[in-house]
Amino acid sequence: MSNPSPKYSPHRFNRSEWIRTIPSFGWLAFFFAIPTLLILVMSFKSANPYGGFGEGWSLQAWRDMGNPSYPAVTWRTVWLSVVATVICVGMALPVGFLLGKSLPKTRATLLLLIIVPFWTNFLIRVYAWKVLLHPEGYLRQALLSLHLIDERTLLLNHEWAVLLVMVYSYLPFAILPIYAAAEKFDFALLDAARDLGASAIRSFWQIFVPGVQRGLFAALVMVLIPALGSYIIPDLVGGAASEMLGNKIAARLFVDRNWPHAAAVSVLLMAVTLFPVLFAFAQQKKESRPESPRPESAKKGAAPA
Amino acid sequence: MRLISGRHPFAIAAMGVALVFLYLPILVLVLNSFNASRYGSTWEGWTIDWYARLFSSRSQDIWDALSRSLIVATMASAVSMVLGTLAAWVLHRYRTRLQQAHFGLIYLPIVAPDILMGISLAIFFVTLGVERNLMAITVAHITFCISYVTLAVLARLQDFDGSFVDAARDLGASRFQTIVRVVVPLLLPGIMAGGLLAFTLSIDDFVITFFVKGVGSDTLPLKIYGMTKHTKEMPVINALSTLLLTFTFASVWWVQRLTGNRART
Amino acid sequence: MKHLTRLSLVLLSALVLSSCGEQKPVLYIFGWDDYFNPDLLERFEEENGCRIQLDIFDSNEAMLAKLKAGATGYDILMPSSYMVKILEREGMIRELDHGKIPNLKNIDPVYLSETAFDKTMRVSVPYMCSPTGIGYVEGKVTDPKPSWTLLETPELKGRITLLNDSRETIGAALKALGYSLNTLNDAEIASARDLVIRWKQNIAKFESDQYNAGIASGEFLICHGYSGDLFQAQELNDKVVIVIPEEGTSIACDDLVIPTAAPSPDLAHAFINFLCEAEVAAANTEYIYYLAPNSAAYELLSDKIKNESAIFIDPVVRGKSEMIDDLGPEGNAKYNVAWDLIKAAAIN
Repeated sequence: MSNPSPKYSPHRFNRSEWIRTIPSFGWLAFFFAIPTLLILVMSFKSANPYGGFGEGWSLQAWRDMGNPSYPAVTWRTVWLSVVATVICVGMALPVGFLLGKSLPKTRATLLLLIIVPFWTNFLIRVYAWKVLLHPEGYLRQALLSLHLIDERTLLLNHEWAVLLVMVYSYLPFAILPIYAAAEKFDFALLDAARDLGASAIRSFWQIFVPGVQRGLFAALVMVLIPALGSYIIPDLVGGAASEMLGNKIAARLFVDRNWPHAAAVSVLLMAVTLFPVLFAFAQQKKESRPESPRPESAKKGAAPA
Repeated sequence: MRLISGRHPFAIAAMGVALVFLYLPILVLVLNSFNASRYGSTWEGWTIDWYARLFSSRSQDIWDALSRSLIVATMASAVSMVLGTLAAWVLHRYRTRLQQAHFGLIYLPIVAPDILMGISLAIFFVTLGVERNLMAITVAHITFCISYVTLAVLARLQDFDGSFVDAARDLGASRFQTIVRVVVPLLLPGIMAGGLLAFTLSIDDFVITFFVKGVGSDTLPLKIYGMTKHTKEMPVINALSTLLLTFTFASVWWVQRLTGNRART
Repeated sequence: MKHLTRLSLVLLSALVLSSCGEQKPVLYIFGWDDYFNPDLLERFEEENGCRIQLDIFDSNEAMLAKLKAGATGYDILMPSSYMVKILEREGMIRELDHGKIPNLKNIDPVYLSETAFDKTMRVSVPYMCSPTGIGYVEGKVTDPKPSWTLLETPELKGRITLLNDSRETIGAALKALGYSLNTLNDAEIASARDLVIRWKQNIAKFESDQYNAGIASGEFLICHGYSGDLFQAQELNDKVVIVIPEEGTSIACDDLVIPTAAPSPDLAHAFINFLCEAEVAAANTEYIYYLAPNSAAYELLSDKIKNESAIFIDPVVRGKSEMIDDLGPEGNAKYNVAWDLIKAAAIN
């Protein structure tokens, strides 16, 4: 398979390359990179008492970060996101496995079935969960009558509701990369392992999972990072004790109107997401090295349709 | 019935659980669009009242919001399809340090949480003093859509057979002709897939739009959020969602039939 | 994709065409959402041969920010009373010509002397007042008292909400303890803060927007909220009862002011005069469930509204109630610090 041969010229200034790169590079540099850096800069501005940025610079926004709630909120953000990621990936592995083993027609149908719910508006789906978990709703009444919970237990407005809806929202982001890798997985390896006497579970964990590890890592990244930035989910189904960093940012911006402080909290969130992002980058670099014979991409599946 | 090769009861069970889990809220919202109860936590009888209200003049603002969402999504996916395809092409073709930086810049928006993009653009627009209207929202949407189109086209480019390009040039086609009549058609599935993904993401975007918007001119997700604040009728939105869902499902099924038919010939 | 593009082009052109209007004088209002009976606006438009263009803000600070950023085309603004002081200090509003507003005689003198900041209506005319209160679902609360102590019902843990507003919620605690809700006394603020933390143990969440949907659907059983919103919930769920705590509460008032740079000041004065007409004020009150402090309008109100203690507050309770005032940067900072501690406090 030939390509218009990639130009391996790390040092030569190629005018046509630059011209073609400028549109997308320029756009993203201006509307993505610069604003991101701007957050860091603006966190050092002083706040206008009536909202927004004031005149001059100050460290007040950073001093306010000493507020006792931040360590707790940060910790909660991290552990909720990690648990949600583990559950999502845990569910996605057998699902991806099944998709990989399905015959093409079944596979197409199953994929469509998985994707279709995500064509409804995100807010609507979260509100549907509010309905499902409502204190006066059928689910809770059923659990009460079966004596599985007591009168004081509520299904809504606490951390477990947030976790449930997070898993719900991010599950497809885990399924698709694992499926993409499973599609290229050679299932004959599993048969060989079974022939050699390995149990089903053992061959799954020791052959399949490592075999789709690129998809696995992509899934981890695709779930963990958005989960860390969750705002709507804890806002709608969480309670007073389920705030995550996203809520804090939104509260500082819209309720307190303290923009420099909102910027400072955003920098905190950026720091928290830095490790998974760097990990994701390292993974991507490993895959797109030009020497590798089959540059596989375990990125998110290309299209919902 | 041979659907799956081999017997995998556990995986099938997992898939079953996943599907039930995924569809539970969908079922709730579809049922509630027919539920006479305003809040939907209990069933109070069948009605098509909500659908009637959706099409009455009282819901005009919902349709306005939907049309704004469609306009923004169309513009955003169109621009990002152009920029994204160009980016994918140049990323595929050159392996310089510039492209490494370029790829980093493309990849970052995908892994950045929405809320960070939202607040950074909000601060950016405020600092520039730009009016935060639909145009600003569209610019924000283009920014996060480019990356998805790029990756979709890149995936397609992996299997791209460059000999077609060489052949066209050998036969005397100009650069422009080669691009328009050889490269783009070959890449079209990737471009369309990316564009479709961009469109879907733009229509559904809430967080970034919420941070970036100014007063007035809500898109549909913002309108939905606002409606809940005013105790307005949520089931009308359930009715709209059910209709949109049916519409997209039907169009996808119809497209599948068309392409399926074509593949057979 | 093609169909969607076509559809959106059609919609786009429809939108463009519909915005080419006629050439009548326009009254530009900058106000809160859903704050006028729309029939009354139409009536004003007909009677005065003009069009009304209503822009919405969702907080006083957002309004101030937009004005400072250069929005000068407004004839009427509707800030809350404390914001009127700030606007006046910044020189952004003009003195009112009482000669053009004869209906000012209808404004309730008791309100002006007891509660209002601008007692002579020099720069502002009160439009609507709303007390903050507590809504609860009848039958779910044993022994409900019209008091802030309702917020501390441990049996209903997880079904109670507090307003997500530092001044309102800390203010409620201050009132419960018998202090002024505009106090700058550190000890008083600290004890109010501790009381709120005690209340926090039983709440579902801090919620300022969606509690009325929540209480109407039964998700919440006790809500700290604005009476107008709670009345809307009552319309949907007749088991909702609204009480004004006997220890006193915060009363919010929104006023009408005219910016210095208003393009049509005469039309603006006419609009204020219109809103002060007895029957207009009464109609607005019936629609919004806030109270227009207009004594001529009081007789015209329906019995339901007249007997509603959450609208016509008992004079003793009203005597103990106050408007939230702007406390300047240092004062506000004290409340912000207390609020942050409240948000950080753990729930056991």
